[in-house]
Amino acid sequence: MPRQTLDTVYAALADPTRRAIIGLLVHGDTTVGALADKFPISFNGVSKHVKVLERAGLVARRVTGREHWLTLEPAPLAKASRWLEHYRAFWETRLAALERILVDEDKPRPSRKRPRK
Amino acid sequence: MTQLVVRRLIPIDRERVFDAWLDPARLARFMCPTTAKRATADVDPRVGGRFRIVMFHPEVDANGVVHTGEYLLIDRPSRLAFTWESQFTEGITTVVTIDFIERGTSTEVVLTHDRLPPQALEAHRRGWTDILGLLGESAG
Repeated sequence: MPRQTLDTVYAALADPTRRAIIGLLVHGDTTVGALADKFPISFNGVSKHVKVLERAGLVARRVTGREHWLTLEPAPLAKASRWLEHYRAFWETRLAALERILVDEDKPRPSRKRPRK
Repeated sequence: MTQLVVRRLIPIDRERVFDAWLDPARLARFMCPTTAKRATADVDPRVGGRFRIVMFHPEVDANGVVHTGEYLLIDRPSRLAFTWESQFTEGITTVVTIDFIERGTSTEVVLTHDRLPPQALEAHRRGWTDILGLLGESAG
């Protein structure tokens, strides 16, 4: 995923209304009109939030007659969460290595003695 | 999803644990992954100064994997924060904050890695857990 897309995903999810929309879409597809009824903001307001989610690739829209149906697209979220797994493993092993080298410095090692500060 | 926290209790006093992060020789040693042959570290340990760590994985990239960042906060021996950029962060600046908490003669290291630029951190900090819970429900 290009950088722009990931940035867009995070920006899209930073807003509580957009997170609430995602929360509703988790339970199934819905129309823009049905969404607008659930939020205390205007239809246009909801529509703008939906457009941000679409640009981020989090929501797909299909038009059936006069209805605009929305579907959750979880792939960008899955991609973003892989970053976390990479770094969790990375930092866990780095902190273990940090402990090892500091503990080793306390052990007398005549054969490989290092100058101390 | 945008933040991870890793903790470890290290049986060493806070000053030594903290100082290891700003000492290029020690930093190069503990930042060297087991899959890498060696790592080098250059640091300019002041707020606004930068560090550069290069990890050499001969089978991946002979030129080394470069990790760079800028020190945002240096509060010895309790807190250190720096930006973190590498090919694994896909060009996005991320922020690592490390808290060093005294636990008797040991130190609890709490490392938080946020994937957002610092000015956006506070605004983004809340509200992720609910989304992830819902997505977990959806996937399960």
